[in-house]
Amino acid sequence: MTKNHIQHLYSRAGFGIQPNLLEELSTKRREEIVSDLLNQSKNFNPLLINTAEFDTLTFNEFNKTNKIHRAYIEKSKLLIKELNRAWIHKISNSKEILREKMTLFWANHFSCQDRFILYIQKYNNTLRYYALGNFKDFVKAISKEPSMITYLDLKQNKKGKPNENFARELLELFTLGVSNYSEEDIKEITKAFTGYDYDFEGNFIFKEENHNDDFKYVFGKAGHYDGDDIIDLIFEKKQCARFICTKLYRYFVNDAINEDHIEEMTNVFFPNYQIEPVLLFMFSQDWFYNPGHIGNKIKSPVELLAGISQTIPLTFKDTKQLLSIQRMLGQMLLYPPNVAGWKGGKSWIDSNTMMTRLKLPSFLVSDGKISTKEKGEFHDTYKKYYENRKGENVAKASANWEVFNKNYQNIDIEALPNYLLQCPINQNTKDYLNSLSKKSKRDYCVQLMSLPEYQMC
Amino acid sequence: MCSTYVFARISNVLKMDRRKFIKNSSLASSLFFVPSFVKAFSDVITSKTGYKRLVIIQLSGGNDGLNTLIPFRNDVYYKARPTIGIKKENLINLNNELGLHSSLLPLKKLYDQGYVSIINNVGYPNPNRSHFRATDIWQTASHSNQYLQSGWIGRYLDNFNQNPYAAIEIDVSLSLALKGEVQNGMAVKSPNTLYKTTQDPYLKKVVEHYEESHLSEHNLGYLYKTMIDTENSAKYIFETSKTVTPSQNYPNNGFSKQLRTTAQFINSGLKTRVFYASLNGFDTHVNQMNVHKRHLKTYADGIDAFVKDLQSKNTFNDTLILTFSEFGRRVKQNRGNGTDHGSANTLFIIGGNLKKPGVYNEMGSLEDLDDNGDVKFEIDFRNVYATVLKQWLHVEDNVVLNQSFNQLDFI
Repeated sequence: MTKNHIQHLYSRAGFGIQPNLLEELSTKRREEIVSDLLNQSKNFNPLLINTAEFDTLTFNEFNKTNKIHRAYIEKSKLLIKELNRAWIHKISNSKEILREKMTLFWANHFSCQDRFILYIQKYNNTLRYYALGNFKDFVKAISKEPSMITYLDLKQNKKGKPNENFARELLELFTLGVSNYSEEDIKEITKAFTGYDYDFEGNFIFKEENHNDDFKYVFGKAGHYDGDDIIDLIFEKKQCARFICTKLYRYFVNDAINEDHIEEMTNVFFPNYQIEPVLLFMFSQDWFYNPGHIGNKIKSPVELLAGISQTIPLTFKDTKQLLSIQRMLGQMLLYPPNVAGWKGGKSWIDSNTMMTRLKLPSFLVSDGKISTKEKGEFHDTYKKYYENRKGENVAKASANWEVFNKNYQNIDIEALPNYLLQCPINQNTKDYLNSLSKKSKRDYCVQLMSLPEYQMC
Repeated sequence: MCSTYVFARISNVLKMDRRKFIKNSSLASSLFFVPSFVKAFSDVITSKTGYKRLVIIQLSGGNDGLNTLIPFRNDVYYKARPTIGIKKENLINLNNELGLHSSLLPLKKLYDQGYVSIINNVGYPNPNRSHFRATDIWQTASHSNQYLQSGWIGRYLDNFNQNPYAAIEIDVSLSLALKGEVQNGMAVKSPNTLYKTTQDPYLKKVVEHYEESHLSEHNLGYLYKTMIDTENSAKYIFETSKTVTPSQNYPNNGFSKQLRTTAQFINSGLKTRVFYASLNGFDTHVNQMNVHKRHLKTYADGIDAFVKDLQSKNTFNDTLILTFSEFGRRVKQNRGNGTDHGSANTLFIIGGNLKKPGVYNEMGSLEDLDDNGDVKFEIDFRNVYATVLKQWLHVEDNVVLNQSFNQLDFI
């Protein structure tokens, strides 16, 4: 497999690749590389932070007084921020890279938010557990998660008091896509999803007394359906497989869809809905490596952060700052904009996020400095600009340049763009870079990471 | 600026070499991506109508409308709110039916001059009581069961004004309201800081070397375009706005700073149509009296200084200030001397050019409530948006709102 193709695979299925691994893999065939990549993600390692204070908490203690309740909620909100940090760390350091990449995908598919740490941590691990598994089981599990039950008002959906929120999103956002069902279907499906509840520990409870056991008429069929029955009915429709494959294609291949390729994927996914085989299929196709796809996708903020960290390992010391970086980039994990999630693609980019992206690598790894030293120059002409800026915006993160030095020691400085960028550098920018001094790999690395080209994967 | 001049300028611009152009003009790089007639069109309107600007203020958290505008002759109000109801002697009488919270004295003065229009019972069908969701609905102008990923101001930019600085949020990050399908507004907390971030020597060199012929509609081209636009816009905003200093002393708080910056932008003649500011802390579930009083005072004192600042430069008549909150609060107080999330709410329009100042419509019944015990909505908030878009910004509101809404009569 060519190095270019391996890099493409690893930038889409993961967050980039180190030079030594790239070298090692370049002698192998595509089938081998793809199946190794999938095998590495067989293991499931949950994301768990220290929640000691909540682990032994009882419902009565939690709700003892209004004041105590509020205090716990505040503590819980702080722990969710810690969970965010731990997640970012896991994304950048996990061995199960495809599982993490898919967990991110599903977190944006089953977009959800909660302020109770135990439930949202459980939710996050459910996403991770099913990330490569069976999609039908996955949807059933999600419908029984406390965070989702709260987020889409399933608890309020009782016999005689319908709340359509969950039923609508189940069809529109989770399985079939808009305009593939009728308003009648939603009303009937709402009846089936009554009686859903959970206990304080977060276990699903089915409350018979709230359940509507009437006949339901869904997709031209009728029965005393409950929630799981409905999911079975939805999954009989090939449209469900098509909807998910379209989303996978946009995420892994290209925003501009190719109907034929999506149909091929759909045929693999339907009717068993196994996630891993459809990914295996996609990564194995020649069209996946079409030059038009390579380096043509705008990285999400998290992909950008993880990519920097892949090259120069980062440790964030301040959770607040890490969150504020994500806010400025427009993607705070665990805080999605709404149930539709982040739109992705060009919508990541506006004036503010663009400047933040361009300045982020230097902010994190080189005290905000990007060298402009020209060939033959001894000193940076713009030293003065930086002198005026001392003390501004100090990054509370440490960057491990040792790892970079070691990984890139055998790489010729002129070859750095081949490792750091997925798309060719614009000619004018290249001319400018060529006028600069190329003595320091470190300086050059920061220069490359500070380009629009680095935003692409 | 007359229209022939605009056309002349655009054609000159198009003749110019890209790099020279970037150096010469601070405000026009986005011209290359917009059909020139669209551009010219939006400026022609300018010459006819003066430079109208819209300032949107969000009171985040759900402002308690019933303790902002108080129906003090209504016993139901006092029965529902035995400890937090505002007594007649503590409020500012407007029309012997309704009174303003005592913190809103500056607003009363504007009201007496005919500069305030109060629209009651604004909401939408099947209201959502989650902060996030309700904020989304207001910002995207969606139905309550519809999820849109672009904001109404963003779609205004998409269709009628593709300059990033045409809509500015005075903050560090951009709300959904200002995000379009293809064009986003800008978040500018401080013009100086934004300018400085674009002055990185390396990034400036990259921009300087870039040539027009390489700009494409592909993703990478889009990134370069945004980068160049941002540098130009930041420079334009910084250099234009620095010519003006505030004529007023503003209170020392974040909200007033936002308004001071907005006034600086407006008074310097910055070609921005829409400004977006917000004031947090209205989620008053517990012991709300003092907190609510303080926040309303912050709001009113800020508005007071802002309006005076605009008046000193004769820009107030061309400015319309729209204040909303994502929802109102429950009629009945809760057990913690606060109020829970409600639905329909009162909305304030402030401007020097109102057609129907005063109380626009009667306050809704406090007895005929919805299932949750909230005031029923009478006016869809999108009627307000449609009116502002058509009557104030002079664009086709249905293009922005994806459907037609009836016009109201306040401007």
